[in-house]
Amino acid sequence: MNHTLSILLQNEAGALVRVAGLFAARGYNIDTLTVTATHDPAVSRLTLSLQCDDAGVAQILQQTRKLVDVLQVAHPATALAA
Amino acid sequence: MNASPLKIAPEIEQHPRAGQSISGAEVIVQVFADEGVKVLFGYSGGAILPVYDAVFRYNAANLHDNGDEPMPLIVPANEQGAGFMAAGYARASGKVGVAVVTSGPGATNMVTPVRDSMADSIPLVVICGQVGTAAIGSDAFQEAPISNIMGACAKHVFLVTDATQLEATVRTAFTLARSGRPGPVVVDVPKDVQNTALNFHGTGELALTGYRARLSAVEQSALSDADCATFFAALMQAQRPLIYAGGGVIAAGAATALRAFVDTFGLPVTTTLMGLGAFDTTDPLALHMLGMHGTAYANYAVEDCDFVLALGARFDDRVAGVPAKFAPRAKSIAQIDIDPAEIGKVKPTHWHHVGPLARALERLTAYGRAHGMRLQLTAWHAHVAELKRVHAMNYDRASALIQPYAVLEAINRHTQGRAIVSTGVGQHQMWAAQYFDFRAPRHWLTSGSMGTMGFGLPAAIGAQFAHPDKLVIDIDGDASIRMNIGELETVTTYNLPVKVVVLNNVGDGMVRQWQKLYFKGRFAASDKSLHKKDFVLAAQADGFAWAQRLECTEELEATIAAFLAFDGPAFLEVMIDPDAGVYPMVGPGASYAQMITGDFIPSREASVVRETSPSHMF
Repeated sequence: MNHTLSILLQNEAGALVRVAGLFAARGYNIDTLTVTATHDPAVSRLTLSLQCDDAGVAQILQQTRKLVDVLQVAHPATALAA
Repeated sequence: MNASPLKIAPEIEQHPRAGQSISGAEVIVQVFADEGVKVLFGYSGGAILPVYDAVFRYNAANLHDNGDEPMPLIVPANEQGAGFMAAGYARASGKVGVAVVTSGPGATNMVTPVRDSMADSIPLVVICGQVGTAAIGSDAFQEAPISNIMGACAKHVFLVTDATQLEATVRTAFTLARSGRPGPVVVDVPKDVQNTALNFHGTGELALTGYRARLSAVEQSALSDADCATFFAALMQAQRPLIYAGGGVIAAGAATALRAFVDTFGLPVTTTLMGLGAFDTTDPLALHMLGMHGTAYANYAVEDCDFVLALGARFDDRVAGVPAKFAPRAKSIAQIDIDPAEIGKVKPTHWHHVGPLARALERLTAYGRAHGMRLQLTAWHAHVAELKRVHAMNYDRASALIQPYAVLEAINRHTQGRAIVSTGVGQHQMWAAQYFDFRAPRHWLTSGSMGTMGFGLPAAIGAQFAHPDKLVIDIDGDASIRMNIGELETVTTYNLPVKVVVLNNVGDGMVRQWQKLYFKGRFAASDKSLHKKDFVLAAQADGFAWAQRLECTEELEATIAAFLAFDGPAFLEVMIDPDAGVYPMVGPGASYAQMITGDFIPSREASVVRETSPSHMF
């Protein structure tokens, strides 16, 4: 199943690599990835999509929340469904 | 309006050096001192020289009355040694271990201890020198992309490119390392940043708003009455409840709370490899270790239980190799952990709580007492006692060859579960886990998740610095000790009374055991009978005044007594039965019911060695 995640990230050295590296290390293949600036120059927004089952997406959401540079992780589809 | 008396704002204690202009290197050392760092481990090199010089000057200026340095810098043979010394210090003391290394190879040699500490949730702060900011990305001498490399291994990495952020960054590294689920934090500091003159503030950390918000949510989360009621509703239904306690109990300082919970409700306790010491293994309700090489009685109890309470444990593949078959009769699984990502990661739970473990256990104990929760566990206790009696650990006691288990039992008769024990990785590690008693937390230092051979000796050194007056024993194997054998010299350089035991079975014993079981006995690269090393001569060459080889069973007791009684560094090589195996063993893909118990521990059911078992799990 296709999932889209939205991640707010502090603009620190290597922050993007750590997010991408986490997904790679845990065996998740990122299909699309967009990084955009936000109104706060210290914060970027990552939007990424991937294929995985619901249990997989729940786990990678939790793992992403463990990254120190990550401010917020949202899974808009589950937020809408809830 | 609240008529409280006028509060006088407490005078904010200013740091005595606040406002001073000091170098980046001095900032690092001052923050170390402020964080209570008592010892550093590290190896010098070009890109870290300013920090080393600042340590030298700090120590010279702040000598204790007895002439001791306040922050001695312990030099290993290899940076990996420094990392495991810092980790051994952290594991034995509960404090943050600190290592300081240079750029490039110094930092890459530190990758293994950092990953090892991440996998076992051990708090470290590692400062790496880096080439100057202008040279980063130019393929400079001793340059390596440490923030990329360590980013994949550590809890967090900082690359300090703005010198004015250095002080807050180093201070924040300590907070990150010890908070929440602990772990290693790496700070990569370019050489020019170390040399920059900075205005020292004496206070202040980085904002890290995302991390701190999540941390504070977890730390403040408390069990409601409804949560407690749901927990006890399930527990009161159980006839055979079991606690499965992991390293999280030790990391959280929750052993006392666990003891009180068990004293109140009477649940038997089995611990993981990392959890050894979280619950006194000599207690009648202690089942010692569970899992792939757990005791038969612990594993059978897991098979039989109808309720599991997992505390700071993560159902890893060495415990729940086949998650669906783990605790198959459990009607309810409850889990408490500080890390939300561990809840239900492997095994679905019926009840869980994310929060500080000690507080959660205290709350459950208080709630259960207040509501008169009493479990009738007499039959279960009798069953557990019978499992412990019938399926006790045992081995070939009549053998003419020295059995490794006998060596460990002999040591244990002296130490009584009160010594600090470190290990390498392999058979000797599992034997030590199985045959030693552990009376209290932080006495068992082992590379649990990563399984890093070479861990034992440097970890013992670090632990001895944490506890100069305690007996510290490295139980090692002939292959594991080779990995960091250079650190034998570190033991004698600092005259540490570390006791090193090498159980020599002339090869990679655990690999051979798997090759016997799953590769028809083809010992590819695991036999070391052609190796020429004389370990006793090697220890003597490194300055061990007591170094002996034990080769016959008759001398075992007397040799061990003399070895442990020696006042100073001592090295004992024991030539053990090379065919001694680690039993029980739950093979890869097998359930606990299919556990192989070997020739000397009675099995409950006929176990099957599956020749075609997948070996990818090793």
